[in-house]
Amino acid sequence: MTARLAPPVVGAAEPVPAGVVHASGPVPTPVREADTHEETTRDGPWDVIVWDDPVNLMSYVVYVFRKVFGFPEAVARKLMLEVHNKGRALVATEPREMAEMYVHQLHSHGLHATMQRSK
Amino acid sequence: MSATFKRHGDGVRMELESFEVELLAELRDGLHRQLVDGDHADPVMQRLFPAQVAPEDEFVDMEVRDLIYDDLLRERLDGLEALHAIIDRGKPHRGRLRVDLKHDEAPLMLGVLNDLRLAIGARIGITKLDRDEVDEDHPAAYPVAVMDHLAWLQEQLLSIIDPASVSSEGPEV
Repeated sequence: MTARLAPPVVGAAEPVPAGVVHASGPVPTPVREADTHEETTRDGPWDVIVWDDPVNLMSYVVYVFRKVFGFPEAVARKLMLEVHNKGRALVATEPREMAEMYVHQLHSHGLHATMQRSK
Repeated sequence: MSATFKRHGDGVRMELESFEVELLAELRDGLHRQLVDGDHADPVMQRLFPAQVAPEDEFVDMEVRDLIYDDLLRERLDGLEALHAIIDRGKPHRGRLRVDLKHDEAPLMLGVLNDLRLAIGARIGITKLDRDEVDEDHPAAYPVAVMDHLAWLQEQLLSIIDPASVSSEGPEV
């Protein structure tokens, strides 16, 4: 799992969250049904999830977690091992824009990250 | 084989064997072509660019992917260009190519090496590959060996850039 940015670690084309479908081409643009959608989707915190992959080095994932989130080594290693052993780990819960930034940075480093409304 | 990356003053010195110079150039050119071609059905593109980032909300998913796609593409192309420039300014030293990396170039190299490994992994379908079955006659033997070599280079860089991230057991995925 750098700005370059991916784990035993964490990555992308593989374990995908339930319901996730990897697109193989341009994705059709959904039609907005209500003007208030953007406003409502920005409400509330979002979870940032990092997914396991078989290419990223464990050490690299620890490095990315430390660099992107500023985690202490012990926290970064614990989360890396959670990704490695459980297939995924919740690494942050933030307002939407911050969650978007983290997802961007994690993908920039080659880690596979998704975001979902925090429950 | 001696280390490729070593601490040098406050920076990092890289000394590449000739085969590593050729290998990195070949890998860089291959990935550059794929990024420029932009074939979204290509497994490398699917690995390096997220197919979904917000699976529970298609609108957010579309918006975020639209937001980050161009940045990810530019960052990856810039990284490959930087790799080219770094190697290009190397000087021969005792049979190797020596380059003193500038402050921000060591983490950049780390990221480019990661992209190259991810691309190889995607090309050979690493997610479906049983590494225990990859003997020397296996078609994936060479690319897997290249991935392992790049991992060794990454681990060297990590031990300099961020020693706390490295375990004593060596590169593990």
